[in-house]
Amino acid sequence: MVQYNFKNITVVPNGKDFIDIILSRTQRQTPTVVHKGYAISRLRQFYMRKVKYTQTNYYDKLSTIIDEFPRLDDIHPFYGDLLHVLYNKDHYKLALGQINTARNLISKIAKDYVRLLKYGDSLYRCKCLKVAALGRMCTVIKRVAPSLAYLEQIRQHMARLPSIDPNTRTVLICGYPNVGKSSFINKITRADVDVQPYAFTTKSLFVGHTDYKYLRYQVIDTPGILDRPFEDRNIIEMCSITALAHLRAAVLFFLDISGSCGYTIAQQAALFHSIKSLFMNKPLTIVCNKTDLQPLESLSEEDMKLVMEMKAEAMKTVVGQGGEPTDDQGVLLTMSTLTEDGVIAVKNAACERLLDQRVEIKMKSKKINDCLNRFHVAIPKPRDQKERPPCIPQAVLEAKAKQAAEKEKRKTEKDLENENGGAGVYSASLKKNYILANDEWKEDVLPEILDGHNVYDFIDPDILQRLEELEQEEGLRQAEEVDDDFEMDGKELTPEEQQALAEIRKKKSLLIQQHRIKKSTAESRPIVPRKFDKDKQFTTRRMGRQLSALGLDPSKAIDRARSRSRGRKRERSPANDGGDAMDMDVDTPNKRLRMRSRSRSRSVSRPPGELVPGEGFRDSAQKVKAQKLAKKSSKKRNKDARRGEADRVIPTLKPKHLFSGKRSSGKTDRR
Amino acid sequence: MPQGDYIDLHRKRYGYRLDHFERKRKKEAREVHKRSQIAQKALGIKGKMFAKKRYAEKAQMKKTLAMHEESSTRRKVDDDVSKGAVPAYLLDRENTTRAKVLSNTIKQKRKEKAGKWEVPLPKVRPVAEDEMFKVLRTGKRKTKQWKRMITKATFVGPAFTRKPPKYERFIRPSGLRFTKAHVTHPELKCTFNLDIIGVKKNPNGQMYTSLGVMTRGTIIEVNVSELGLVTPAGKVVWGKYAQVTNNPENDGCINAVLLV
Repeated sequence: MVQYNFKNITVVPNGKDFIDIILSRTQRQTPTVVHKGYAISRLRQFYMRKVKYTQTNYYDKLSTIIDEFPRLDDIHPFYGDLLHVLYNKDHYKLALGQINTARNLISKIAKDYVRLLKYGDSLYRCKCLKVAALGRMCTVIKRVAPSLAYLEQIRQHMARLPSIDPNTRTVLICGYPNVGKSSFINKITRADVDVQPYAFTTKSLFVGHTDYKYLRYQVIDTPGILDRPFEDRNIIEMCSITALAHLRAAVLFFLDISGSCGYTIAQQAALFHSIKSLFMNKPLTIVCNKTDLQPLESLSEEDMKLVMEMKAEAMKTVVGQGGEPTDDQGVLLTMSTLTEDGVIAVKNAACERLLDQRVEIKMKSKKINDCLNRFHVAIPKPRDQKERPPCIPQAVLEAKAKQAAEKEKRKTEKDLENENGGAGVYSASLKKNYILANDEWKEDVLPEILDGHNVYDFIDPDILQRLEELEQEEGLRQAEEVDDDFEMDGKELTPEEQQALAEIRKKKSLLIQQHRIKKSTAESRPIVPRKFDKDKQFTTRRMGRQLSALGLDPSKAIDRARSRSRGRKRERSPANDGGDAMDMDVDTPNKRLRMRSRSRSRSVSRPPGELVPGEGFRDSAQKVKAQKLAKKSSKKRNKDARRGEADRVIPTLKPKHLFSGKRSSGKTDRR
Repeated sequence: MPQGDYIDLHRKRYGYRLDHFERKRKKEAREVHKRSQIAQKALGIKGKMFAKKRYAEKAQMKKTLAMHEESSTRRKVDDDVSKGAVPAYLLDRENTTRAKVLSNTIKQKRKEKAGKWEVPLPKVRPVAEDEMFKVLRTGKRKTKQWKRMITKATFVGPAFTRKPPKYERFIRPSGLRFTKAHVTHPELKCTFNLDIIGVKKNPNGQMYTSLGVMTRGTIIEVNVSELGLVTPAGKVVWGKYAQVTNNPENDGCINAVLLV
């Protein structure tokens, strides 16, 4: 796992839920209907499918569990050791092994039962075999349930482990409990580690990131270590020891010289000497913290001696890295996290030493040799003894000298930034060069709303002048408007024109009113097409009225409209008929007339029991009997069990099928 | 990325939401209604499973409530009479118990001679021949019907070799051959997976016994060396009889009860 992100492991369900999930999935995703009468091969296939489907699901889910949990031997030894310390490697491996065994057992069960199903010769037998197969698979999972619960707990804990990259630049902080390690990391990174006055506040590793010289460094905060023999250490201390042992990092050993952590310098020095084997090949810095309570210079003789001993040890690591034996600027540092005095210096020193060490190692490694071989600086061979120094024009030299002087004179923002901790830590004050009437106003916060007005609306130096201009424009425009109004009414109309105008307006308003009525009721009322003319608006009379109002003669138009309308009864005269219906019988008009005039006489029927020769009855009594039988057989059965029409017996007052059961949708209020 | 116990840390620093406890209380109170709604609305297999689970819970609840409500009443105390207790007027008499001591082996020998054994399943449903055998049609025109395939579980010994296929009449398919049985000890109440040594007797007929067919009620001999039983003489018992208690062809396994 390259990313060492344990948050992506899928949730491990607990035993019972696991079984429920798989079985309900089998029930939903495989066909459910089967009948006794199907062909035996179809029955067998139906049940075999269920067994195989269940086995496949179990196999898939168990495989994801086994694959996603990290194998302690395949990951970086730091993580392998950390997980061993936290969860006990043996337990962990056993649990995963049990899951693997369960997976194999389930596969075997499925294979056996599918083989047996081939001999199933009845629906009942196949069904029993399928039930047995599924039951056995679920029993295997039930037996393995404690392992599943254990793995789920581990997963939850692993997801909250800090994601530490073991190969990148790392700074490790260690020391006794309560010396100020977490405060330090809070100061230089954005990690928000809990800081409390009691020991072992930090119970696990925390990681934060910081920048130095455009490179990202990991800073790891460890729980405090006590001075104890190795076997007696508890899990929390073992976390720090693991980190110290496996990570190639710059180590900051914190020393509380004021003794306010509850341990003397002697005890802390003893711890240092007992774990100094872990500092092999790592750039070590001794950091004396809490100098605000007790400065380094005013320590007692013995304490000073101890500190110097520790410093000597630390110097050995400098030598080991190829640094100068007398170069002690990064080995013993003092700081105070409370007053933030020297914190940045410590960080810079540690980062610098780590960078140097890493560069050294890279230079010495084989890889760089491959690169170096490819570099070659070509120097031309001298052809004579003449000196040829580089030619720089005088003006450039002068400019360079001037620039150098200027650079020295002025302190740039960049310098300021570097002094105060670098790009991520220092934020420049952008307001310090503001030009304001009163210099004290520079750091003030600008309000956004004042007295109900937006302040930004008024930020303009010429605002008063612009206000005046606007007001002038407003005045002009208002004057123009007044003129326009008068122009409209000034036009003179003749009395006839005025009358016509009034009429037009009246008609227009009428139409509008009608349309509004129609529109408002159109939604609630279906619109009847015009041809049915519900309101009887479009009558010929109305048309006649309108035309005469306009001064035209309506009679001809009315006639034409009337002749064209459908459904009008026409008085048919024989002459008209003969002309229209060409392929009709000549007799038909007479026939129709005849039929209309004559009244119908009823047809005569036979009496009920009369014997008709062709029907096959012996005598009329037999026929009557036969008719009676026919009627009886088609009589309605008395399924209500009522004695008559007035009998209102209810055989069951509350039939079960009507009063019980759930509804798939809706409530069961009404029964 | 939050690390460590970040949830607890946040709670320690900022405390809970102002309405946290009220919301929690109300949510828990609503659970009752939600559960009842689910119980009323769940249909089909889900509804049945839920109903079953809920019934078990309710029964358990009723029991605990009844237990808590037990009032202290005076009840008659029934002391069991201990075995061998004699009334006061018979004390001080030496009673001699006369019992016939017969060793276990003699008893067994008598039973064997009689041919009667006490078994857990004295009566078993008879299995018809057409249920036991399936007719196989063979021959070029598939008209010969003298071969039979056994459709029940069988046992063949380790030294079993088939007769030449042309002549074998009864076919015991290898898929239906079993070598192990799940044997329960009636007193210890635990089950072991033991090897079958042979089929002693099948109640459906002597032909089936010779074929090695195991149906319900068959007496089989199993290898009990795992149990570590020893005779009074000091010899290790390694074979015992057991009776099959299930239908192996329906369950895919042989469950038996040891005959002690």
